[in-house]
Amino acid sequence: MDLSLSDAQELLKASVAHFVQQECPKEVLLALEMTPTGTTPQLMRKMAELGWLGILIPEAYGGAGRSFTDAAVLFEELGKGPVCGPYFTSSVLGALLVLHGGSEEQKRALLPQVARGTCVLGVAVTEADYGWQPQAVQLRAHRQGDHYRLSGVKLFVHDAQAATHLLCAVRTGDDPRGGITLLVVEVPTAGLTVRSLPGWMGQVDEVRFEQVQVPATAVLGGVEGRGWDVLEAAALQAIPILCAYKVGSCQAVVDMALAYSRTRVQFGQPIGRFQRVQDHIIAMVNHLDAARWTTYEALWKLDSGRPAAASVHLAKAVTSEAYVKVCDGAHEVHAGVGVMREYGLTLHTQRSRALYHLLGDPRTHRRRLADALGW
Amino acid sequence: MDFEVTYTPEQEAFRAEVRAWLAANVPPDLEEPVDPAHLSYEQYGKRRELGRKLGAKGWLYPTYPPEYGGGGLSVDFALILEEELDRYGLHLPPYYDSGGRLGAASILVWGSEEQKRYFLPPMLTGQWRTWQLLSEPGAGSDLAAVQTRAVRDGDHYVINGQKIFIGSLHGCEMMWTLVVTDPEAPRHHNLSWFMIPADLPGIEVRPMELLTAGGEGGASPGLKHTVFFDNVRVPAFHLIGGENNGWKVATTHLELEHGGGGLIRRHRVAERFLEYCLTTKRHGVPLSQDPDVRDDMVEVYIKKEIVRLLGLRTYWLSHANRPRSYEGPQLSYCRKVTNLEIAEIILRALGPYTLTTDPAWAPLAGLLEHFQRAAVVGLHPGGTTDIQKVVMARRLGIGRTVREEAGRLR
Repeated sequence: MDLSLSDAQELLKASVAHFVQQECPKEVLLALEMTPTGTTPQLMRKMAELGWLGILIPEAYGGAGRSFTDAAVLFEELGKGPVCGPYFTSSVLGALLVLHGGSEEQKRALLPQVARGTCVLGVAVTEADYGWQPQAVQLRAHRQGDHYRLSGVKLFVHDAQAATHLLCAVRTGDDPRGGITLLVVEVPTAGLTVRSLPGWMGQVDEVRFEQVQVPATAVLGGVEGRGWDVLEAAALQAIPILCAYKVGSCQAVVDMALAYSRTRVQFGQPIGRFQRVQDHIIAMVNHLDAARWTTYEALWKLDSGRPAAASVHLAKAVTSEAYVKVCDGAHEVHAGVGVMREYGLTLHTQRSRALYHLLGDPRTHRRRLADALGW
Repeated sequence: MDFEVTYTPEQEAFRAEVRAWLAANVPPDLEEPVDPAHLSYEQYGKRRELGRKLGAKGWLYPTYPPEYGGGGLSVDFALILEEELDRYGLHLPPYYDSGGRLGAASILVWGSEEQKRYFLPPMLTGQWRTWQLLSEPGAGSDLAAVQTRAVRDGDHYVINGQKIFIGSLHGCEMMWTLVVTDPEAPRHHNLSWFMIPADLPGIEVRPMELLTAGGEGGASPGLKHTVFFDNVRVPAFHLIGGENNGWKVATTHLELEHGGGGLIRRHRVAERFLEYCLTTKRHGVPLSQDPDVRDDMVEVYIKKEIVRLLGLRTYWLSHANRPRSYEGPQLSYCRKVTNLEIAEIILRALGPYTLTTDPAWAPLAGLLEHFQRAAVVGLHPGGTTDIQKVVMARRLGIGRTVREEAGRLR
């Protein structure tokens, strides 16, 4: 038993922390928060040069070929920012979809580019009748000769504005699971419009298809009906890395609240001396550690080849709630200062909400947990 | 990261040795009453006997130094012992021994060489069962406010006072306690820590009538007492750590009692509850197919998993000798609160069946009924949940101006 990071992981952690400090300080993140893509070409290039956009991509396809835990170390540090942008969607979820489902040709065409940052993958699954179960995929792809024709809407698609390729879950058959196919849709394509959604969503978009023609060669893996299986396999590995991002976020928010409660003086003493304030912080630390250790155990199971499904669902349910609750606690501690945009806490508050549903909300994962346990 | 202990061939050979030894030495007729208050004297005797046999091999307190009666084993070997005992539903020691589990660590850190050689071997080899005596009517959460007095008289101290929530069923051979030796000195500098033979004249032990008896870790005590000291003469040699240094000595066992050692242990009640829901039908279908019960099961599972992981994390920090701060009291807090929450979920999921021990109607032979009581009682031993939060805050550097450090375990 050894619950510490390896030396290589400690090194990676330090270099990501340095990067976030240098390239993504609060002022930059506050500006990026309001942009459609959440990133800049310069940031993409720098992260590609550091090998982080291909962290999970095997060396044979131009990546770094590192472990899930390594990737989690990277994303935990990014979560501390919190650094927005399409990195998780493209380099983790998207890359894993291509790895699990793509043909050799597709892997060679897409993955090296993802690692270089010249290709950004988006993943479009959910629709107007929102949900992460296969029945909720209703957008039909009608086969006509050597192409498919699509009309409909994908809703709440993360990072679609940044994507050069959208991996779209579409319906090619009636079987709830077996009728789903993943299509690689290039952006731009005639009839395809991507629109940022107004409000408190961040980089979450609507993708509208109007008589969009996609070549038959765009089927991921070349065979219809495998889409949901591929999505589940990729999600199982991607989710703990998303969880690690939230763990980093929770840690950053706890650190903010601790620092503030030591320095903010009211009634003649630091507010951290008040047990009401301590109660908020202790609850936050408990949420943080629950998120951290459920996530780490899921990562360990993935990397060591153990059955991981139950641990993954557990981690996702726990961390999504933890991030929201930790931010709520921080707002109790910070009061007015916490809602001033320039202070930076609201960057997290926004992310905690926007990432709550991604790849399934806590309720979905609770149900899947029961299934995974064989109940 | 590696969440599992990987065993060497040498350790696996040790496991085989332990397994064979336990098969030959664990009495076949050990009974585990659902309510620890029902542990008979005969059954207790069998556990003590097993404890002495384990102690003779250094397996009762396997990680303690062999020169004081321990096994001198590394954590991984000790874990094998715990795992193999767990197959019999037993822990180390196989009976309530709060004073040994917590006090031996204090003596090891704070005792003189002579004291270690005198006190530790009987504690660590199971000759003595030891109780800890801390709370008083006027000193619960505020432990440093104890009033029991020890006054020097020649080469003895004379002790007078009263301690509550003490011990277990079926007595003990030794006690240790925290008493005032300098009423004029400032708080935390006025106390001393004594080992007291339980058979000294002037000690009176009276049972308390409680909802049930709980304990922080270890085997369940089954019963708690009030202990009265009436001019009890204790040899000065029994003062550990020096006069008026008792609070420092106490920080060691308080750290352990505040969860600092961590915990690798299954949540038997939660596991039995989940299994019960999967195998018991109501209204013609398994309870687990009722959507509400299913949600309750998932909640119980999530809560017990979080506590398991916090226990594992703290265990690793402690045994790998990593820096610790708030993790012990956090584990204690989360474990206690989670038990209370799990008790409520079980009450909701299974209804009034949860409250009976009736042979005809009680699920799991009354295990859940006892848990309903034990979860409530379990909130206070080893420091209330609020005290755990106070300690956490100090360790996080917000409770006081100076950040408090974790107590010494070595």
